[in-house]
Amino acid sequence: MSGSRTSGTIKYAMDAAVDGMWHARILRSPFAHARIKRIDVSLVPDGVVVLTGEDTRDLNHYGCQIADETVLAQGEVRFAGDPVAAVAARTRREADEALVCIEVDYEELPAVFGAEAAVAPGAHLVHAQHNVSENDAAYFGIRPINGTNVCHKFQIRHGDIEAGFAEADVIVEETYRTDSAAHVPMEPHATLAWWEGDRLEIITGSQTPFNVRMDLAIIFGIDQEKVRVKCPPMGGSFGAKTFIRLEGIVAALARKAGRPVKMVLDRSEEWQTLNRHPATITVRIGAKKDGTLVAKKVTCLADTGAYADCGPGVAQKMGFASPGPYRIPNVWVDSSCVYTNTPPNGAYRGYGQMQSIWASERTMDLLADRLGIDPLTLRMQNLLREGDAYCTGEVMHDLQLEQCLAAAANAIGWHEGRKGKGLSLLIKGMQTPSRASIMLKHNGNGSYHIECATAEMGQGAHLAIRTMAAGMLGIDVRHVSISYPDTAISPYDTRTTSSRSTHMMSRALAEALKDLRLNGIDVGIGEVRDEGGLNPDTGQGIASSHWHQGAAGAIVELDDETGLVKVKHLHASVYAGKVVVRKAAEMQNEGSMIMGFGTAMFERIEIADGQVTNANLSDYSVPSIADLPKMTHDLIEVEGALVHGLGETALPPIPPAIGNALQTFGVRMTTLPMTPERVLAAIDLRDGRVA
Amino acid sequence: MKTTFSLNGQQVSVDTDAGDMLLHALRDELHLTSVRGTCGIGLCGTCTVIVDDKTTASCLIPVPMIAGADIRTIEGIGNDPVLQAFEDAQAFQCGFCTPAMILTTQQLLVENPAPSDDEIDAALAGNLCRCGCYFKIRDAAKLAATALAQRSGA
Repeated sequence: MSGSRTSGTIKYAMDAAVDGMWHARILRSPFAHARIKRIDVSLVPDGVVVLTGEDTRDLNHYGCQIADETVLAQGEVRFAGDPVAAVAARTRREADEALVCIEVDYEELPAVFGAEAAVAPGAHLVHAQHNVSENDAAYFGIRPINGTNVCHKFQIRHGDIEAGFAEADVIVEETYRTDSAAHVPMEPHATLAWWEGDRLEIITGSQTPFNVRMDLAIIFGIDQEKVRVKCPPMGGSFGAKTFIRLEGIVAALARKAGRPVKMVLDRSEEWQTLNRHPATITVRIGAKKDGTLVAKKVTCLADTGAYADCGPGVAQKMGFASPGPYRIPNVWVDSSCVYTNTPPNGAYRGYGQMQSIWASERTMDLLADRLGIDPLTLRMQNLLREGDAYCTGEVMHDLQLEQCLAAAANAIGWHEGRKGKGLSLLIKGMQTPSRASIMLKHNGNGSYHIECATAEMGQGAHLAIRTMAAGMLGIDVRHVSISYPDTAISPYDTRTTSSRSTHMMSRALAEALKDLRLNGIDVGIGEVRDEGGLNPDTGQGIASSHWHQGAAGAIVELDDETGLVKVKHLHASVYAGKVVVRKAAEMQNEGSMIMGFGTAMFERIEIADGQVTNANLSDYSVPSIADLPKMTHDLIEVEGALVHGLGETALPPIPPAIGNALQTFGVRMTTLPMTPERVLAAIDLRDGRVA
Repeated sequence: MKTTFSLNGQQVSVDTDAGDMLLHALRDELHLTSVRGTCGIGLCGTCTVIVDDKTTASCLIPVPMIAGADIRTIEGIGNDPVLQAFEDAQAFQCGFCTPAMILTTQQLLVENPAPSDDEIDAALAGNLCRCGCYFKIRDAAKLAATALAQRSGA
């Protein structure tokens, strides 16, 4: 509840404590790829529990989409930071001291960096073969290519791409790159685990309680009912706390120690735990002289690092987002998820969408320039309208793209001169298929309690769900309480990702209320299921049961001498359907825009020979209150519309809006972030000063 | 070694190693989980406490250095208008940075009762909020300034 956040009494996973718990630390590989020749733990003091690959050999491989991970390295490490051993001791300091007593001999092996190198013929293979996971997060027909570094390849084949380009009067092609970024939730990853006989109890900061339960059951070869996962509120996540992170190691340590074990990551370890996929995206688009789009061909390479995590899903979404919210009769997309010897990349606010919208929306402005058509006009002319089919074949409904785009254009005074101004537009899919269930209990005194597996990471989903329930019941929100996820109690929910929870739970709640009233009892259960999915070879089907929609506008100034870009104003217009909690909704937009601003201008994980070289908050900058440009936004509502999720929509359109604004100075940005060095290089290219 | 200091108006003693930081003493010895700290280098601002009327990164101050000092955390803030302003402006999402943000704002308003936006930004630039509640935090700082001015005028 809100009061506990200001008073500081709220307890995060980092604060979880049980009697007799010990503290754990991880020993990580210093090499990007190496064979472990020997691990010597003989110098570790008595009274410290050490876990090595030897102890975890009998545990099963896991991974939410590809079963490529082991609890600790089994003779081979695949990235600098790969867990090699772990210790548990009475205090964190003792655990820290024990780590340096472990000696490991490595034989360094050749490593592969960068997705382009990893798909080149003869590239060293990060994994010999790729087994699709049994976890229900591997739901979409994953297509690994054994004998390569590609763990999933998604394709769209819509219309006739060659015939489409043959019809085009103008064709534009460009390749774009985006660097990796860190989530930097203020609360680091934290997990506490203990065993009661053969039952595992775990308290962990996670957006995915049921997926964590499933993978823990797989790891230890036990029934899911023997694993209980509780998820306290998180101090931020943004995708970082999804699927198995520390849970496997902590549970295995707790089993060996025979006591509760807790682990809280050091800030520096966050960069070795999960980051955002760097991407390389090539876009080729063809149009008629009058601006009508006729063909689009896109290839995406998503660098997933040494373990797939949900990279296949990210690559797929990157792929089906890349055509953009436009009517294009002929579309061809190849999107591959590629292994490299770097820390794993996974879900990150935007889920692949930021990367593909960067490429897609920058290309729209290149095309507009070539055609001599105003970029707003070109978008308005081609955007999807009610009843149009997307390149997946699905018919689109409840579209407000035109309103979003018009609002963004107006907010930055598009019609009063274009210099230094840019626009962008997106649709973003929501997890499909998915299932949500919720339990509504009448306490007997006019108050109600909700059990559901929606995790609270600051996004305000719990307040939104309570507010919606109170509205349906006609009571004050103070009389509706809600529990944090507990897999032993909460009814099943797919996961708290893809900005789906407020939308899905609004519908599940209506069902629960119906159930409660129909049965005249004190408990109502509501469940909703959205069916769908895409054929991974053709990209045809239902990509999303529900589409998030938004547009952004930017006004910038450019210093030609230094390459310094001054962002004067950012605006995002987001289709909200119906706003549930006004200020919380505003902060989802503002937070997304601020993160998008960081991504656009300076956030970048630097990796040299596989080593993250800026894994601290001094060298990796995130926006502070003093960095912000003027930011404004709209939450577009429509009478009678459903609730739309708002968690991510305003992030992806920010970088291309800024990039497109720079294009009005003749500066053609293709790489994110747009650091002064990169902007200077683009200025040199414009002015013919190429080295 | 034993160190005694004043915490929210009460004398307390902790027994720590000489190299232990104040953050460790507050969180692990005195169980004040409102004091967070995650970067270890004084940059994230979540470990901020008030030491002798100065905002201080508790992750950088060795415990022996605060012997005899007067330390204030969110637990010592009472019914302060700054806390209420953060509630009224709904100036938080996950809440992890919030206690430190409130303490820093309170200290700013002691030193500068009517800060401009730029002055608010300068004072809070060392307190990161990854959820991005900065606009509402500015609102809260201004609400608090108004409330404090009204209170002192009354």
